[in-house]
Amino acid sequence: MALLEATGHAFALLFSGDAALWHIVWVSLKTSVLGLVFATPPAVLLGYLIAMHRFPGRRIAVWLAQAALSLPTVLIGLLLYLLLSRRGPLGGLEWLFSQPGIVLGQCIIGLPVLLAFTLAAVQALDPRYAETALAHGASSMRVMFTVLYEARYGVMAAVISGFGRVISEVGCALMVGGNIEGQTRTITTAIALETSKGEFAQGIALGIVLVSLALLMNGALVLLQGEAHNPGARL
Amino acid sequence: MTALLSVQNLRKRFGARPLFDIERLDIAPGRAYVLTGANGSGKSTLLRMLGGLERCGDCSVELDGRQLPLYPYPPALRRAVVYVHQHPIMFSTSVGHNIAYGLLARGVDGHDARPLVEEAMAWAGVTHLRRSDPARLSGGEKQRVALARARLLQPRLLLLDEPTANLDGPAREQVIALIPTLLEAGRSVIIACHDRDLIGLPGVQRLKLRDGQLETR
Repeated sequence: MALLEATGHAFALLFSGDAALWHIVWVSLKTSVLGLVFATPPAVLLGYLIAMHRFPGRRIAVWLAQAALSLPTVLIGLLLYLLLSRRGPLGGLEWLFSQPGIVLGQCIIGLPVLLAFTLAAVQALDPRYAETALAHGASSMRVMFTVLYEARYGVMAAVISGFGRVISEVGCALMVGGNIEGQTRTITTAIALETSKGEFAQGIALGIVLVSLALLMNGALVLLQGEAHNPGARL
Repeated sequence: MTALLSVQNLRKRFGARPLFDIERLDIAPGRAYVLTGANGSGKSTLLRMLGGLERCGDCSVELDGRQLPLYPYPPALRRAVVYVHQHPIMFSTSVGHNIAYGLLARGVDGHDARPLVEEAMAWAGVTHLRRSDPARLSGGEKQRVALARARLLQPRLLLLDEPTANLDGPAREQVIALIPTLLEAGRSVIIACHDRDLIGLPGVQRLKLRDGQLETR
């Protein structure tokens, strides 16, 4: 019954426009989107370069890119904590327990997802796209944009998967952000805190937001994958 | 006659197996060549090498009196030579944009490219497909769009890899009818094929890859 009651309160919180709750959602969205904005260009570029070029150590690069997917976010949080703490090499930035710190963490967490998915998408693309572009006089830069355009559904899937990874992680946001109310409290850190206090309503409300976001993102991903496998098809 | 291109030391091995070892290949301006040979003899690989899509360590090429390595592919050669795949790939834009691709890649303004694209579409008989989704084109239509896309760049040498493979009936005839008109303006063409109608086109010189050597007939 406690669960039903807490769920009822959660919906009440959501629909009453509770400022504290929606601010937490806003901080989560802002830090996740900014983290992805910074991670996407280098990750897509690296993914493309590794997929398209043969160079010594390429297999190691692919292995590292894929291994980085399973890097625990709490470990990234620990490393960033050490780097950003007052005595750390990046302590002068004063980013510990701040939103820029969380953005940096989200960027590092999202980067391998974006890289690995872009690499896979470009590798799976018919090599004749790049060859045709090259044979018709395209510069290296134009070949890259042509290939990435043709692999766009895979690249968009990479971005969506990256977003799913960063918005749902808790370890790094907790360690680097510090879960400060009104400043660095994100959806996941708030759920962890509220649950530990035995206050389930806000945790469930935030969980509903997180699940809704996940459903939206994955719905978009399914649509994109459908379009990639059956271009021009109507549902 | 001065050769348009003279390529030396065309060699290719797959592991320990030598595919071909051609000391010299001269391509005259304004000539059409058909490259024949058994399946697996290396026809496509040879064309891809000439088109800069396949590595060729020791190969060199003489173009306009200059001796250049074939790999990395020299920009002067990239402007002079265009390769067309056996099954041409279409970029997922419109047919018109596919044909304009090379011009736009070479920095031609879209406005200036438009009349040239119209002329190329009319040449290939694909004007009615201008706004079509390239993914929905038939094999013959794709081949004609690819020929228009390549011809538009006015290359001095066109490399066509089995342009009539998997085509039959009118689609095949339409592609074959375009080949002689490619020779205008002193352009040379090398066609890898098994198609007897292409081999029998008037004025076409036959090159045959056999046992790793190139025989001229």
